[in-house]
Amino acid sequence: MGLITRELWFALRERTVQVTLLVALFSAAVAVVSGLKTVGDQQQLIEKLKTETAAERALAVAAQVDPGGTAYYGFHFTYAPPSALAFAALGTRDTLAWKHRVRMLALEGQLYEADTGNPELSLSGKLDFAFVVAVLAPLLLIFLLHDSEAGERRSNRHELLRVTAPEGRKLYTVRAALRAALLWLALVIPFAAAALLAGAPGSGIAVVLGAAAFSVAFWLLLCRLVVSRITTGPACAAGLLGLWLVLTVVVPASGKLLARAKVEVPSGGELLLAQREAVNDAWDLPKQDTMDPFIERHPEWAPYRSIERPFEWKWYYAFQQVGDQVVEELSRAIREGVAQRDLMMARLAWVSPPLLVERWMTGAAATDVPSFQAYEACVRSYHAQLRAYYYPLLFEATPFSEEAKALVPEFEPCAREGSA
Amino acid sequence: MNPVFHIALDEWRYWRRSRLGAAATLVTLVLLVASSVVTYQTVTAERQARDQLQDAAQSIFLDQPARHPHRMVHYGHYAFRTPPPLALADPGVDQFTGAAVFLEGHRQNSATFSPAYSGPQGIRFANLSPATVYQVLVPLLLVVVGFSAFSRERELRTDQMLLAAPVGPGQIWLGKTLALVGLALVLLLPLLLLVLLIGEDRLAGLVLVAGYAVYLLVWASITVSVSARSRASSSSLVVLLALWLAVCIVVPRGASTAAQALLPIPSKVETDLAVADAVRNLGDGHNAGDPAFARLRANLLAEYGVDRVEDLPVNFRGVVAEASEADLTKVMDDFAERYAGQELAQAQLLRWASVLSPMLALRAFSTTMAGTDLAHRHQFLREAEAIRYEFVQGLNRAHASELTYSDDMQRSRDAASEKRTRVSPTNWATALKEFHLQVNPASERWQRAFPYLLLLAVFAALAAGLGLSRRTAKGWA
Repeated sequence: MGLITRELWFALRERTVQVTLLVALFSAAVAVVSGLKTVGDQQQLIEKLKTETAAERALAVAAQVDPGGTAYYGFHFTYAPPSALAFAALGTRDTLAWKHRVRMLALEGQLYEADTGNPELSLSGKLDFAFVVAVLAPLLLIFLLHDSEAGERRSNRHELLRVTAPEGRKLYTVRAALRAALLWLALVIPFAAAALLAGAPGSGIAVVLGAAAFSVAFWLLLCRLVVSRITTGPACAAGLLGLWLVLTVVVPASGKLLARAKVEVPSGGELLLAQREAVNDAWDLPKQDTMDPFIERHPEWAPYRSIERPFEWKWYYAFQQVGDQVVEELSRAIREGVAQRDLMMARLAWVSPPLLVERWMTGAAATDVPSFQAYEACVRSYHAQLRAYYYPLLFEATPFSEEAKALVPEFEPCAREGSA
Repeated sequence: MNPVFHIALDEWRYWRRSRLGAAATLVTLVLLVASSVVTYQTVTAERQARDQLQDAAQSIFLDQPARHPHRMVHYGHYAFRTPPPLALADPGVDQFTGAAVFLEGHRQNSATFSPAYSGPQGIRFANLSPATVYQVLVPLLLVVVGFSAFSRERELRTDQMLLAAPVGPGQIWLGKTLALVGLALVLLLPLLLLVLLIGEDRLAGLVLVAGYAVYLLVWASITVSVSARSRASSSSLVVLLALWLAVCIVVPRGASTAAQALLPIPSKVETDLAVADAVRNLGDGHNAGDPAFARLRANLLAEYGVDRVEDLPVNFRGVVAEASEADLTKVMDDFAERYAGQELAQAQLLRWASVLSPMLALRAFSTTMAGTDLAHRHQFLREAEAIRYEFVQGLNRAHASELTYSDDMQRSRDAASEKRTRVSPTNWATALKEFHLQVNPASERWQRAFPYLLLLAVFAALAAGLGLSRRTAKGWA
């Protein structure tokens, strides 16, 4: 019987191994099943809201005869659909918005709605596959391996094994590696099944499998380093647990503090106040104070810049846009700050393997901060399309037929599969 | 001296000698102090910033020049959620909820800009608020320090000597648990200091600390009890770690996932759509000619005994605006309350998992006492809505009484009429009250939090019962 077969036989007969593998298999299965359900719910919700928003818009704009009123009352549904791999790493989708209803008014007032889910549920976080791989798997491996040498010592077999086994010390390495491999298998089997079911792309699956392998391999290495140096099981466990704590909690948490301290992000409240001032002041300002900055951005409408009556829709939408223009810098600073903080976390992840693993997986699943920002950019570009559609109607005062009404651009989600 | 204290002191002596216990305690203390200092700084800064924004919003509103009152209805106002004093100890759900609401006529906007929006992301429970450190990390420390309390004696065969002394197994358990509880109390000092330092809401803060003390008592008793029932230190450690993993990490996440799946609630967008659907037939308050207000017009004409709205002593447009806002708000409030109820029901389902996890029980207790739970988020939304309704209606009343119907009708065509529709800014101060979110009285919070403390006490009793039970004593002796 070869070394591997023999060790496999030993492993599978051992109670600790059986229990740990079952726990791994079970938690991975629960994680992917609930992940699939969450993603399925989100897809259903998107379909529902797409039709409902369209129906609501149809009713709201039915009585509107001019483009101004139609734009004012017509809400459009924007969303970021979950990627095929999102079930494995739900990422920020419960805390950062992935859907907004927007209309042609100033966009900056519409982008930052925070009510994305039940905050008390967000406080616990979700039991997704990324969590199982990045946080739970290391603990399971520590359970499996912390006593592997000390246990033999207690049974007075340690020295005997070392001198009699043809493999010598290598025996323990092989034994540990084999158990780690079994753990990896128990984790990824439910995932692979779900990924095939969800039709996830091969590259993304490869990233997740690789991330899981990296996580298990890294902790295998740490376990070997600690276990071969410390002679009692509990001391090994305590030491490994300390390492787990530092790498999983202390380093990422300190990193967050550091990122907050190092990168200033302007407060959203300031942006809201500034934007409201810009939009509302326009009512009292001379019309040309609004039209000048607007025409600067849109010289093509210069011939239509004069506003004759106290209220005209084209002036109304011009000051909406100027409202966005006024806070452009602030808005960009916020976005750049968020990106900068995320970049710091990315760098920091190189000293925290659990964070690194989580980031790989949320990256592959397009549920990370860059994906969130990509969705925001997508909404911005759609909003720009809406303006491009309405401005000619408003400025050239072309007749607004039902046919023209039907030509309003539909929101299309911007393609973004995982960054892997 | 009572032998129980002897045993406890001896345990402390053992920890001091074993480097593991001393090192782990030191690291935890450093973490605790660091987390307290950092949270204190960030939340204090946040509190000041939000208060300043609130004051700024208030004075900006009051400083607006003379205007048509309906302009001010759409100009709107902002309500900022200032974290309660005890958010310094437990930021709770505030990390994920919007911090600012735009208040305007005809709409109940959602809160915007949660702290999570710009916060760095990564491993959700890796945050070092004092609450998290006490809920998750300190129990781990107690486990690592105490798992061998009994099993070690057994392995070193010192148990025989102990039993030969005139003490019972119950006293030994008590002594060892006392030692661990003593450590827990030392670790609670930073929290106590933090609460005293915050100053405001001190009574609730002390109750909060008491809750954490009971929670740590649960962990101390469980740790020593499991150790007493384990044949070997290694198995004691494995059992305790598995328990910690389940209680502090797996059950909270699993319960959150389960609550989401079992009791899904509509998203905010769905609610907004439902509101839009429900108010469609209420009539447009901007349009006094809307048939929805025919009855109102007839009643008003009859009341004043005139035939035309022009002859009314009040501006009919303002009356319509006020009536329509009232109807609209009733519908919106209904939906908002229903939504809040659904959110609470879902959270309640999650909280039921407290019977499996003392950590969840403590979290419910702690966020409730701190004023950072879901109920307080709803309170913020309600109070913001109350302010919104009041200033909008105040402005609508000014709209009805301070300007004439004919000027109001002429104003987009005639500059002189337009000028006469502008009302004095003193109306802004009459309409808008100051918004300062106050946390509920401590007694009210205590009533809601109490069941969770009771549950924690039951956990502590069960853990102690496990350690003091005859079976444990028999196995030990």
